Amino acid sequence: MRPRIGFYICHCGTNIAGKVVVAEVRDSMEHAKNVVVARDYKFMCSDPGQEMIQKDIKELGLNRVVVAACSPRLHEKTFQNACRRAGLNPYFFQQACVREHCSWVTKDPAEATEKAKSLAMGAISRVGFHETLFSREVSVNPDVLVVGAGIAGIQASLDIAKSGCKVHLVERDPSIGGHMVQFDKTFPTLDCAACISTPKTVAVAQSPNINLLSYSEVTEVKGFVGNFKVKVRRKPRYVMEDKCTGCGICAEHCPVTVPNRFDENLGQRKAVYRFFPQAVPITFAIEKKDTAPCRTTCPAGVNVQGYTQLIGQGKYKEAVQLIMERLPLPGVLGRVCPHACESSCRRAEVESPISIRELKRFAADRVDLEDIPLPQIEDRPERVAVIGSGPAGLTAAYYLRLKGYGVTIFEALPAPGGMLRVGIPDYRLPPEVLDREINYILRLGIGLETGKLLGADFTLEDLRQMGFKAIFVGIGAHKPLRMNIGGEQDFSGILQATDILRETSLGNPQSPGDRVLVLGGGNVAIDAARTALRLGSKEVTIVYRRTREEMPAYQEEIEDAILEGVKISYLTAPVFVEGSEGKVTGLRCVKTVPGPADESGRRRPIPQEGSDFVIACDAIIPAIGQEPDSECCSASGLEVGRRGRIVASARCGQTSAPDVFAAGDAVMGPATVIEAVGAAREAAEAIDRYLRGEQIEAAESLSVSENGTNWRDIPKNAQRMPRASVNRIAPEAAKTSFAEVSLGLSEDAAMAEAAKCLNCGGCCECMECVRACERSAVDHSMVAEELELQVGSIILATGFDTMDATRFRLYGYGRFDEVYTGLEFERLNNAVGPTGGQIVMKNGQKPKSVAIIHCVGSRDVNHHVYCSRVCCMYALKYGHLIKEKAGHETEVHNFYIDMRCFGKGYEQFYWRLQEEGINFVRGKPGQITEEMSDSGGKQLIIRVEDTLSACMVKVPVDMVVLCTAMEARSDTADVARIFGVNQGADGFFLEEHPKLGPVSTATDGIFLAGVCQGPKDIPDTVSHASGAAAQALALSMRGKVEVSPVTSWIDPDICIGCQTCIKLCAYSAIEFNGRKGISEVNEAVCKGCGSCSGFCPSGAARVKHFSPKQVFAEIEGILDEVI
Amino acid sequence: MADYEPTIIAFVCNWCTYTAADLAGTSRLVQPANVRMVRMMCTGMVDPKYIIKALLEGADAVLVSGCHPGDCHYINGNLKARRRMKLLKEILPKFGFDERRLKMTWIGASEGIDFAETIRKMTAEVKVLGQNDLRTRMVL
Repeated sequence: MRPRIGFYICHCGTNIAGKVVVAEVRDSMEHAKNVVVARDYKFMCSDPGQEMIQKDIKELGLNRVVVAACSPRLHEKTFQNACRRAGLNPYFFQQACVREHCSWVTKDPAEATEKAKSLAMGAISRVGFHETLFSREVSVNPDVLVVGAGIAGIQASLDIAKSGCKVHLVERDPSIGGHMVQFDKTFPTLDCAACISTPKTVAVAQSPNINLLSYSEVTEVKGFVGNFKVKVRRKPRYVMEDKCTGCGICAEHCPVTVPNRFDENLGQRKAVYRFFPQAVPITFAIEKKDTAPCRTTCPAGVNVQGYTQLIGQGKYKEAVQLIMERLPLPGVLGRVCPHACESSCRRAEVESPISIRELKRFAADRVDLEDIPLPQIEDRPERVAVIGSGPAGLTAAYYLRLKGYGVTIFEALPAPGGMLRVGIPDYRLPPEVLDREINYILRLGIGLETGKLLGADFTLEDLRQMGFKAIFVGIGAHKPLRMNIGGEQDFSGILQATDILRETSLGNPQSPGDRVLVLGGGNVAIDAARTALRLGSKEVTIVYRRTREEMPAYQEEIEDAILEGVKISYLTAPVFVEGSEGKVTGLRCVKTVPGPADESGRRRPIPQEGSDFVIACDAIIPAIGQEPDSECCSASGLEVGRRGRIVASARCGQTSAPDVFAAGDAVMGPATVIEAVGAAREAAEAIDRYLRGEQIEAAESLSVSENGTNWRDIPKNAQRMPRASVNRIAPEAAKTSFAEVSLGLSEDAAMAEAAKCLNCGGCCECMECVRACERSAVDHSMVAEELELQVGSIILATGFDTMDATRFRLYGYGRFDEVYTGLEFERLNNAVGPTGGQIVMKNGQKPKSVAIIHCVGSRDVNHHVYCSRVCCMYALKYGHLIKEKAGHETEVHNFYIDMRCFGKGYEQFYWRLQEEGINFVRGKPGQITEEMSDSGGKQLIIRVEDTLSACMVKVPVDMVVLCTAMEARSDTADVARIFGVNQGADGFFLEEHPKLGPVSTATDGIFLAGVCQGPKDIPDTVSHASGAAAQALALSMRGKVEVSPVTSWIDPDICIGCQTCIKLCAYSAIEFNGRKGISEVNEAVCKGCGSCSGFCPSGAARVKHFSPKQVFAEIEGILDEVI
Repeated sequence: MADYEPTIIAFVCNWCTYTAADLAGTSRLVQPANVRMVRMMCTGMVDPKYIIKALLEGADAVLVSGCHPGDCHYINGNLKARRRMKLLKEILPKFGFDERRLKMTWIGASEGIDFAETIRKMTAEVKVLGQNDLRTRMVL
């Protein structure tokens, strides 16, 4: 059928006709091919305009219609419906935009007219190739998703629920109410915000039609209007909603105190919290961040943050119990641990790390282990032998016994403890402390046989014969290394450091000599030197090949040794031992210089030729390292590797014999106590799995792995405090006795130190809440869940952020104590806020004068050009509240640009406040400074130009409130992406039309409610939300919706089945039909984006209404007119 | 060539750049009258042959403009377009066109000012490039 086109051009009053010579366009089109009639009219979108089209269709037999008017985004539907009414398929209509893209933006009328002609010609040319299309009707799921449960989301949900439709209300915070429940009063009625909002929040909780998903976030949206599939992630709140009664006992027991975000960080809350007592839901939540670095750094995975917090609460017993979950020797490690935790402590970013090791010792010293009840142990029949009673052996025995195994320890020396007893001198680790902790471990029912040396007194095979089902080997590294220098074997007076330390500890102290040389730079060397001093040696010198920086001994040990009078000769290497008459007389040494770095990263000492000299002495104590004395093990058939180390799996400690496990120095070579404890704990777990017949290698390591660095922020205002100092015996007294040198922390110092903890991990997982909760509602093992919801429409009510006031440096927020944001001031006013509703300064006194600064970030070309629409009114409200609460004599100064009191009753409120004696200054302050007042206190000075009197004024006040701008949520772009909506230039979500479509978006079925669309006060927000609810309900009630027929179509006669389109389709809407050998579009899923048609190599894939013929025709039409 | 006024065909997506152009219009941001917009649902449906067609029909340049990467209404159609345009630019000289006659931009729905600025800049650039003389060169 030949096209019969009707062309119409709209004047749009003078909007188009003021620039485009409408008659010229009309006349020009009248003669275009296939045009039957061309007309112009004042307002084509009006009733008479539309009727004109309908009449022509009927009377002139038009089968195509082109209207040149505004943007098709505005009126395409209007004219399509007019065609439909006249019996013409609406897809035979085409609109040319000659207003937004032409008359409004073109300066020269002649140019505008030419452009209009060209655009009109494009449309006329195109419409000839249009085809009949029919909209599809799809059913609408009546359920609605509301995102955000502030007052907008609540109102929309309640409205929808009233109709009987189901609402899924998703809120990312643990409780609902949004910003409104943070307020104290609302303007202009001065209603209490809680009084008017709590009935609504309670109604949400009680409505059977509302499925409240608090502490949840939408992660994905699929589908289309009427049929959305939404994925919601329910964050773990670690408290079960169905069990928690909201009694709050958990929070009373929680040791972790953090700033309360709900109070704008003015107040504090616990890690287990709810925002306020009337919160809906009333369920508590636990804030967990990624595991604190101190915990993840500890080789034994001790919950450092947990015991630090418990110590801060004075709960020493609980702290020790928490430590013993990972480490059975708290008092020992509290003294000798190299504290890797402290090196990762984030408090160092404020001033210095917390003295974690001293805190551990403090707690262990305060607790009598006899008071700690023995745990319930369910006995198992298998028995395990533990060889060696050092830290590895004791740890393995302890955890194996806790698991119910019968454990017997075999120790070669006469007393248990291994290196803890015979390697670490008593002045560092008193034997009483060690005995106390070993006794506690043995009290669990562990057998101990001393004086039993593996290889000499028994063999591994003997143990198997005795019925031990598994054997743990923790024999340590006690065999000293040789120096391999001349004369080492030839003279008396050469004594091994380990021998001296062992004999001294076992009660056979013997002075090595008067002038003693100790060789080496490790802890053993320092220990030997200090022990020699205590044994009566007059002069003790440590000879070390490198410099102090490279010494492996702990810094504090080196310092103590120097304080006690030990001399250290750095960069000195021994060459050979000199002696006479079979006795040592001196050590020939050579000076060295640091050379290039070796594998360990330390600079290799290079001897200097000709620099040799002799240090006279009568005893030499080599302390250059030890290795495991593992001959007994190799004799028993265990594989032994380099330097005598037993070969064992790093993951489980299993050796070459399946029933023998090993850990500690025997495997690693000389290392730290805490590493031995960590490895032995792993081995104990592995033995348990071995005996149960399970897979021996653990799925994951027991040590707490780092799960990220999303820790609590370090407060910007954290006070710098000195690191707790430890009391110690004076060096003069110390060097004559074996009494413990360090006296530990005082209680006050420990409390102060624990209080410095930044609680990096949020919840410290001390489990106090679990013990406190009578309903067993706390579950720390909870994980995030994912739900899938099916809904027909979505309402976004995600609210706003307030602008960060620290961006206004000249207003001093964050620097001066008495500068607040509006929201902070709301919390000061609120009865459940940090001051209980008192308007007081940080010093507890009422302010005598308050300045309120309007438009902080709003109406400001440097920040947001828009008006936040609520600040003038809440500033007036603050004025009233200040007068009411702080006293009528309190001065209130408003610094404003314009007063905008536009709502119902607002102007009256403004008048009332003027009568209440509020001062108004028209002008925006330039700067706020803090100065000392005459009376000695601090005052804030506001400098401002009073633009009504045109003079600069300085106003001294006690307190300043900044009315910071409302702005789009910082993650609006991400949310917009998830839901497929747009952001406007101001950052808020973009509505379909600023005036006529303020609740709809460009995406069908997704609506906006409240401030996420732009700043609003509460009445406007509530109206907007009800509007959104009505839009969503309109869809639900009708039950079906028309879906655009603009989808892809693959011509089966052309398709070659290459399947390129299938990979291109973002919606998986194309499937391959193997029988026909072609690709086919599933129209129900296709969104009509045309990714397939843009690429189809054979040209088979096309988008209906955007076919190549149509686009070509439009291009030709446009360009024909131009050229 | 002082009076030469180029003609630019713009294939723009309905959701971002077309909306931005509407916003520029509503905001009365005056632009050169050289651009003719062809509305597409997504830049992903812009077939390279549309561009060649426009140039063959005598357009002096072609603009393809869609949503910013990540903001596409259809997930990633704009990225597919970007790939196609990049490849097309490589072969345009084979058709006798300077590859600078094709330009691709991202202009979001709220960026009316950007849109007007892009049009101004591009018109000036194409003026420097000179007229597309293909029509006169080609023997049709």
